[in-house]
Amino acid sequence: MAFLELTNVRKSFGQVNAVESFDLKVERGELVSFLGPSGCGKTTTLRMIAGFEMPTDGSITINGADITYVPPNKRNVGMVFQSYALFPNMTVADNIGFGLKIAKKPSSEIKKRAEEMLALIHMPGLGNRYPYQLSGGQQQRVALARALAFSPQVLLLDEPLSALDAKIRVSLRGEIHSIQQKLGITTIYVTHDQEEALSMSDRVVVMNNGHIEQIGTPFEIYNFPKTEFVAQFVGTLNTLTAEVRDAADKRLVVDGQEIKSAHALDGAQVGEKVTVSIRPERISFYGEIQKVNTMNCTVENISFLGSIVRIQVRTGANVFYMDTFNNPFLELPKIGDKIQITFSAEAVLVLRQSA
Amino acid sequence: MNGLLAWLGVAPFFLFAILFLLWPSSSLIIGGFQDPAGNFTLKNIGDLFTPSIMNSYALSIQISAVTAIAGALFGFLLAYAAILGGLPRWIRTALMTLCGVASNFAGVPLAFAFIATLGRTGFLTALFVNVLGINIYNLGFNLYNFWGLALTYMYFQFPLMVLIMAPALDGLKREWREASENMGASSFQYWRYVALPILLPALLGAVILLFGNYFGAYATAYALTGGTLPLITIGIGQQIAGNVLYNPNLGYALALGMIVIMAVCIGGYTWLQSRTARWLR
Repeated sequence: MAFLELTNVRKSFGQVNAVESFDLKVERGELVSFLGPSGCGKTTTLRMIAGFEMPTDGSITINGADITYVPPNKRNVGMVFQSYALFPNMTVADNIGFGLKIAKKPSSEIKKRAEEMLALIHMPGLGNRYPYQLSGGQQQRVALARALAFSPQVLLLDEPLSALDAKIRVSLRGEIHSIQQKLGITTIYVTHDQEEALSMSDRVVVMNNGHIEQIGTPFEIYNFPKTEFVAQFVGTLNTLTAEVRDAADKRLVVDGQEIKSAHALDGAQVGEKVTVSIRPERISFYGEIQKVNTMNCTVENISFLGSIVRIQVRTGANVFYMDTFNNPFLELPKIGDKIQITFSAEAVLVLRQSA
Repeated sequence: MNGLLAWLGVAPFFLFAILFLLWPSSSLIIGGFQDPAGNFTLKNIGDLFTPSIMNSYALSIQISAVTAIAGALFGFLLAYAAILGGLPRWIRTALMTLCGVASNFAGVPLAFAFIATLGRTGFLTALFVNVLGINIYNLGFNLYNFWGLALTYMYFQFPLMVLIMAPALDGLKREWREASENMGASSFQYWRYVALPILLPALLGAVILLFGNYFGAYATAYALTGGTLPLITIGIGQQIAGNVLYNPNLGYALALGMIVIMAVCIGGYTWLQSRTARWLR
């Protein structure tokens, strides 16, 4: 049995279904991210696990116990909020020890635990400070320590890094991940940042319009998106309109040029229009490498993005991007040049429409 | 040039403060130490410690404290219900508008309104007699004594509290409650450890404001009781403009005593606030 289990969970606000048909099994010690755009239902789902929202239908269990309608203060679930939510009237140590104080633990135990937690978040000696005396990153580390101090069964993180600047975000996400690994605590992490989700998670749940689009490891989500939404939302993706030429042989036509996919076309009919996707980094200049698919196209734009160079090309009605690693000796085409590009059959994914 | 214009902009405020605050206060302080001939004396200050004047101060402090604490309590509960009670938005808007009006309704019109409503022949008094057969005056109610006056002043004390506390309650973040619940706290524990300590500076400030608001009130008390309740403000009026007890210098000394009491209250508030809000910048 999974440690945390959501079964057919639905939540509606009036006529609006915020979350529907949500099924998820999380193993003990696993870090699962809910990834999706604003309003997709990820925070609502997290809040149902925390007990701040009650499901309209379905059930939630932790370690076999049904907690669907258990009040939040009886769930033993730790939560870190986007806005830190530290109590401004308490010192850092008092914030961290709050859960233990409520549990009526002896003050010596609370003090010891607060010190342990401060060491864990690399802030020893700052227990006497007030939240306003800390930076945003420090405040969020204290919020994490506070959520862990009372040894919850499950840790919930609601976009914990979105209020921080980019550099701190990257360093703190590494810190959160290493603390989670060290403690082995079952964790649900809500984010709309794909990089965060992909870099930290054991599995990612991609959500859209209140339902699950795909559940998979970061590798699966990025490389084998099952729906057009997942493909578009996670990473940069070229989506092309293609026509099926031979479904059995997996041959398609894009702007009059034939390409081949290595993936099944799921019973598509000859002449049927389908959407195919190719990641920009899987496309190369013909000549450097030769793969099964080649296409003629015209260079429309070239963008330097630091470590990579993104080239926008056109093949008739379809416009798409190819990425190549930047290096000082890179010979790039010019805008308007006619070039040939190449990509493997495995790179061509045929997408189904989102539900 | 900009600096000069800025100074010109604030000049009316300073002019007003000098003419209507600093000058009268200084005259009052100086006058408290003078006899009618203008000579320096400590007699007026010594007279403040006579039993009748001490009783007046005590009565004013008592009634101010009662209306401040009761007004703060009712006002806080009302503000809580309107802001955090999950009531429809229009109730909050209506309540704020009513409180804005009620908190400014004072003086002789307020006294008249209460006499017309709850006086011996007031509308509600008569209604109770005619409909329910109950005469509230026979049950011990009296609009013209300590509690009647306190009730009348509550009319503008608790709306003022609602107006002061509404923004403070708005400032309580939902995440604080959720974080405390998340760590196992009950609603009572959330209020005890988180919400009330956060609100305490605002609450204390509001109680002091309510206390001062009543402590300096004159017209309603005079119109309602006709001077039968020896409040300190009525005493000042009698000493400064009375026919029988005319001693302006004693009146100034009485006012000086009020300033000292308010200064002690504000000093106490500042001290308490610094103790309760160490976490504020």
